[in-house]
Amino acid sequence: MIIPVVLANLVSLAMLLPKIMVTGEVVGANLQAIFYRQGNVVTILGPFIFALITGYVLAREYSDRTINQLFTYPVSRMRILTAKFFVIFTLIVVTTLLSCASVIIVGVVKAFEGAASFDTLTSGMFMNLTVCLLAFGTIPLAAAVSMVAKNVIPTMVLGAFASFVTLILELGHGMKAILFPWATPYLLVREFGEGFAQTGANPYTGTAITILIITFIVSLLFCLIYYHKSEVHSGS
Amino acid sequence: MNYVLQTHELCKQYHGKSAVKSVSMNIGTGDIYGFLGQNGAGKTTTMRMIMGLITPTSGSIELFGSTVSGSMNKVFERMGSIIEYPGFYLNLSGAENLEIHRRFMGMGNKECIDEVLKMVGLLEARKQRVKNYSLGMKQRLGLARALLHHPELLVLDEPTNGLDPAGIREMRQLFLNLAKHQGITFLISSHLLGEVEQLATKIGIIHKGSLIEELDAEALRSKTRTCLEIHVTDERRAALVVEQELHNWDYKIVGSGILRLYQYLDKPEQVNSCLQSKGIGVKSIALSGESLEDYFLKLTGGDCHI
Repeated sequence: MIIPVVLANLVSLAMLLPKIMVTGEVVGANLQAIFYRQGNVVTILGPFIFALITGYVLAREYSDRTINQLFTYPVSRMRILTAKFFVIFTLIVVTTLLSCASVIIVGVVKAFEGAASFDTLTSGMFMNLTVCLLAFGTIPLAAAVSMVAKNVIPTMVLGAFASFVTLILELGHGMKAILFPWATPYLLVREFGEGFAQTGANPYTGTAITILIITFIVSLLFCLIYYHKSEVHSGS
Repeated sequence: MNYVLQTHELCKQYHGKSAVKSVSMNIGTGDIYGFLGQNGAGKTTTMRMIMGLITPTSGSIELFGSTVSGSMNKVFERMGSIIEYPGFYLNLSGAENLEIHRRFMGMGNKECIDEVLKMVGLLEARKQRVKNYSLGMKQRLGLARALLHHPELLVLDEPTNGLDPAGIREMRQLFLNLAKHQGITFLISSHLLGEVEQLATKIGIIHKGSLIEELDAEALRSKTRTCLEIHVTDERRAALVVEQELHNWDYKIVGSGILRLYQYLDKPEQVNSCLQSKGIGVKSIALSGESLEDYFLKLTGGDCHI
């Protein structure tokens, strides 16, 4: 768990970089810009880091063969899976909030300029929590890959692919970026764009949320059925 | 007899190929059931089905007198297991791994962890991370975990793997004590025939997925015990001579003119002269009998890969 947390906190290093506008003008970082940068990095690194967490929590039971023991406890598999999803969500929140806190601290100490309003702070915190919630939408898909592959590597590959696509989409600053389920959390980050991205109401919000909900429900159902029915064979 | 575990025509098929075929085991209360078979014979698959890790293609499993169907949560509280290789959270210590198990099993008393670690000789290593344990230590820890919640039935797949000869002897003694004093029933698979022979009260031999033999230790001993096989002209009179002159009652008449004597194995000439002195014709006298290994090989067709 240390690795994802360290990765997430590398975001704070971005605070040491100067902020350059599209016009080439160098300006100091204010609270809004700090949240925008932090949101960007979390939504780009998130798919990879959160997939890594998911793989670790689920697939390691198979690779370390603790699954043989886990499935012979007097506890239903559904309860075990629910607990695992709860742990994953908690780790997502902790990772995101650590990143958020770290960025604010570094920003304040090293690079913070300009006015900081309470509204911006609460909006930034709200953005981070919503990012957690939306990022959780793709977790059952990563969980399904972990369960089927019984190995953390395919889940990491999925996460890396999703992060790479999200990076490309966010660099484009387009409204349609959020239609990619892993990039849906970018929906709120864009509001902190400050001239980098198109801000304002995104016409694709409803469609993006629908796609994310469908992704969540379908993959969650798969996970529930697979986990309940799956057999544990030699070498699993 | 009260059975702790019975399987009825248990089958498992993979893509139309049978891994386990109609296995019907009967394990009574307090039995130490030695489950023997070559690699790939179906031992682990059978044990996995018993532990609910694999769903049987057909057949049924009866545990503690009730047929298992659906959730096995209730019976899991009464069972302990090591299947194939005991898996642990390697970054945690032995005691921490057992603490997780204690919570899952809903046990209130934390002291049971130290008690069981002491029982398997791991008390001093309780705070050591499991990733630094040797294979033998992991095996012991697996056994400690299986024993922690005081199970009535222990399902152990090759529990002596990785143990040195002294460790194997300790485990054997531990199993015997647990069976004797706590009435725990064991289902143990092993590739060490000698080990099973010394331990088991009942033996099941599985070959190519089928349970080809199930017999208790007494029956096995009579089949595999070394003896003097004496072919005589009159087996009844010979038996009388053995009793009256050699003062031995450890014999068996196994057929017309054949008497098996389980004593005097190193004194056939004494037996011979004694019988002849009483007018009994001795046609032949020879050491006979087979070891469990010989018996196993005979049953499985001779190709031993266990």
